[in-house]
Amino acid sequence: MSGTTPSRAAGPAGFAGRKPWWQRDRTRRMAGRLIAVAFLLLFFLFPIYWLFVISIKTPDEIYSSPPVWIPDGFHLDAYIALFEDGDVQAIWNSLLVASVSTVLALLFGTMCAYSLARYRTGGIHLGLWIISQRMIPPIAIVFPVFLLYVMVGWVDTYRGLIVLYTTFNVPYVIWMMRGYILDIPLELEQSALVDGCNHWQVFVKVVFPMVRSGLFATAVFTFIFAWNDFVFALIVTRDAVTTFPVQITHYFGAQSTFWSKISAMSVLGTLPVMIAVGLLQRFLVRGMTMGAIKG
Amino acid sequence: MTTRDTAAGSAAPPGWGRRLELLADRKFRYLLIVPTVFLLLSVTVFPAIYTLIVSFQDITLMAEDRSFHGLMNYQRLLEDSRFWWSLVHTVGFLLAALALQFVLGLLMALLFVEWMPGRQVFITLLVLPTVISPIVAGSAWRIMYEHQYGPISQIIGWLAELDNPVLWTADPTFVYPAILLAEVWQWTPFMFLLLLAALVNVDKSQVESAEIDGSTYWRTFWYIVFPAIRPVVAVALLIRSLDLFRVFDKVWILTQGGPGTMTELISIYIYKVGFQQFQTSYAAAMTFVVIILLTAVVVLALRRMGVSP
Amino acid sequence: MAHLSINGLHMYYGDAHAVRGVDLEVPDDQFTVFVGPSGCGKSTMLRAIAGLEDIGAGTIAIDGEVMNDIRPRDRNVAMVFQNYALYPYMNVFDNIGFGLRARKFDKQEIGRRVHEAAQMLGLEDYLDRMPRQLSGGQRQRVAIGRAIVRNARLFLFDEPLSNLDAQLRDDMRAEIKRLHQEIRQTMVYVTHDQIEAMTLGDRIVLLRDGLVEQEGTPFELYDQPATKFVASFIGSPRMNFIPVELVGDPGAPAVRFDADTQLALPSPGGGRYDAHIGRELLLGVRPEHMRHTREDGTRPGVEVLTVLVDLVQPTGSRVYASFALAGTEVMAELEARDVPSVGDRLEMLVDMNRAILIDPDTERTL
Repeated sequence: MSGTTPSRAAGPAGFAGRKPWWQRDRTRRMAGRLIAVAFLLLFFLFPIYWLFVISIKTPDEIYSSPPVWIPDGFHLDAYIALFEDGDVQAIWNSLLVASVSTVLALLFGTMCAYSLARYRTGGIHLGLWIISQRMIPPIAIVFPVFLLYVMVGWVDTYRGLIVLYTTFNVPYVIWMMRGYILDIPLELEQSALVDGCNHWQVFVKVVFPMVRSGLFATAVFTFIFAWNDFVFALIVTRDAVTTFPVQITHYFGAQSTFWSKISAMSVLGTLPVMIAVGLLQRFLVRGMTMGAIKG
Repeated sequence: MTTRDTAAGSAAPPGWGRRLELLADRKFRYLLIVPTVFLLLSVTVFPAIYTLIVSFQDITLMAEDRSFHGLMNYQRLLEDSRFWWSLVHTVGFLLAALALQFVLGLLMALLFVEWMPGRQVFITLLVLPTVISPIVAGSAWRIMYEHQYGPISQIIGWLAELDNPVLWTADPTFVYPAILLAEVWQWTPFMFLLLLAALVNVDKSQVESAEIDGSTYWRTFWYIVFPAIRPVVAVALLIRSLDLFRVFDKVWILTQGGPGTMTELISIYIYKVGFQQFQTSYAAAMTFVVIILLTAVVVLALRRMGVSP
Repeated sequence: MAHLSINGLHMYYGDAHAVRGVDLEVPDDQFTVFVGPSGCGKSTMLRAIAGLEDIGAGTIAIDGEVMNDIRPRDRNVAMVFQNYALYPYMNVFDNIGFGLRARKFDKQEIGRRVHEAAQMLGLEDYLDRMPRQLSGGQRQRVAIGRAIVRNARLFLFDEPLSNLDAQLRDDMRAEIKRLHQEIRQTMVYVTHDQIEAMTLGDRIVLLRDGLVEQEGTPFELYDQPATKFVASFIGSPRMNFIPVELVGDPGAPAVRFDADTQLALPSPGGGRYDAHIGRELLLGVRPEHMRHTREDGTRPGVEVLTVLVDLVQPTGSRVYASFALAGTEVMAELEARDVPSVGDRLEMLVDMNRAILIDPDTERTL
């Protein structure tokens, strides 16, 4: 409410003969805030800019000192190299693994969330146990899982990674979807039951459509998590299945570092995420803070 | 829940029908949680137990001795100063990063509470560092820290005269600030978003009432706004602490735990022991100790926040 | 004690023109009520007086000093909010004393003032309770306590009783009235409830769509409404509006309902009805001015009307009987013991002295 229409809050300049000091103070404050925002944007966006810009620089520009702030043109050699050398396979692998695990996590997680939300299955204990799974750091999970996978021969397989991501994401999905389900008025489901639907039909026909937007938002963050992950992929895969973060680390050599490739692969690996976030700004707060705050 | 639903096509007499329905009810709700529970049990609980078993054995790259060796690995752990140092490094890093992220995030949130032109766009842009892969973030900062052709050295050069270019990721004096900077850069927006949402939910009329009563900006913040956002702050700090404890990607790219073992955080040490030295059992023991430690911390924290397990 | 002057006030709420040019004088030490339907601008204006809203044009002055550019905390006003706005993490004592602590009063003085206010409001036993342990009425009293403890010169109330249930509202209304009697300060009170306005106000300002429809004492608005809006807003149950034709001769007007029914109208001084003879107008008569008893039968200006009752609504202390007249439903208020039945023919005594005539085109009272 304060400061909504500065152009109209013009004060009686003529009446008192001078510009009101309070008005000047407010404009000055807004200007100060915007300058601070500009600095913040610079700080937070520059490294991303820098990494991206390397992907289109020529080798001379990359290794020049003092550094070249704005490159001359678009040199797409790095990208072409990625495609020709087949490194792009990593992006494809990431896409496959992240998508499948997201779908599975959403499916299992929403089902479980419904059971917890509407039936209070397992009481508070089950819920707490599930949440605690999310809080364990990956390093504590990944090593045991690695041992398990060695035992069953799932190391370096797609299904191994997919199952791992799914399992790690399910608690997050449950936590989020539970909130969205609880937001639906109970009467809708009850009237469907009275109308003759069985529980499965209620779940599929009434609940699922109503939480569509919640599903969307949760899907994005689940996907982002699986997409960005490094630790799980590093440990559980070798050569057959390489996701793009792992691929990037291959470009860091003891002798030489292929900055162009690092940069180009980073761009390819980040664009999808940026687009997703841009499209779903509305759900940003709720999704990122795990539903702690309802945006 | 409801007990009066009529399963379509049920022709049984009323008494029977009701019992059948209840059975279906119960079956339904347990069916729903089966996949989840199965996954969690097999992929987290079972491996954890298996790890415990392995930690009692002696499995290394050379030999696979699966006999029971008791607490041998744990004893070794107690004497392993590198392990304890890595914990110290991790906790120190955690506290520093947490404090910086919190303060900076709070200041940013206060900046954005009131309206400004382009607010939503700015917020979305500022959140970008958090959604990119930590590997990408680490790579970006690694490039920037390059002493010869990285922009950081250039910028510092504008501000102060340096005789020798600083090797940010190898110089013992600067390596911790370097990784701290990268970590704070990536995760402050998360804090910012959380705190902003909490601030926006504070009851506006309380703030107005305080203003009318004569309170200054900071007084109002301290006595009225901060108590109102404290629960959210607690959750935020807990989540971030757990995340910070497991930092691996960024530090791996920037320093690999170096120089020497200076920035060897716990997750890096475990990785090295388990996957470079292949001392499987020993790594298993370390992992288990870490699990216990973290569980204890989480339980304590939750209890303090008022949620008792 | 503070004299409030509002001149040519315009305010905008987003794109809406919430206040469209209001001129108002709120006299010293009086209890003035801003009343009107939702969206009329009353809360917006109150918040502007407090300094919480931007002013588009015009001035607000307290004791002659223009307040437009002065921050809320420097205006020396106190405000009671609709949702009490108590600070949840402080006890009652700290809530009330918050403003004094902010202004760096010394502890003794704070203690003295808080206890004084608490005593006045019956809160002494609750001083160390937390807001969540209090009932709605107690919370409202704490909010009031917070306002009076600063000895501000102007008190603002933003619909403080809207969140309370009916019984509590009546009790608190009396308390607020008593408060004003005890501490004779200028008070501005906003409400949408005309009963609150009538019972509490020394002066009433009725607002509609950002403009002052009428201002005056409660009785002035009740007995001499300036427009149809005022007449229908004030008074419960609502005034009846009956389409009539003004007939008769200058100096002896009468209203005609239909071919058979006609009632004489007392001529107002100055013959201001004369010019409208022959026109279709609206007759405004309040239900309480139509009676069934025979006591006042011979008073001048009281006419008799025979009607057919088609709806009866008893309330315990009164009975409301409705009947059709000139195509509209008219409601009359009768004594409880006089309960008629649907279909009865009644002889109504209509006090035409209290009736008003409204020009249907301008909606103003003649």
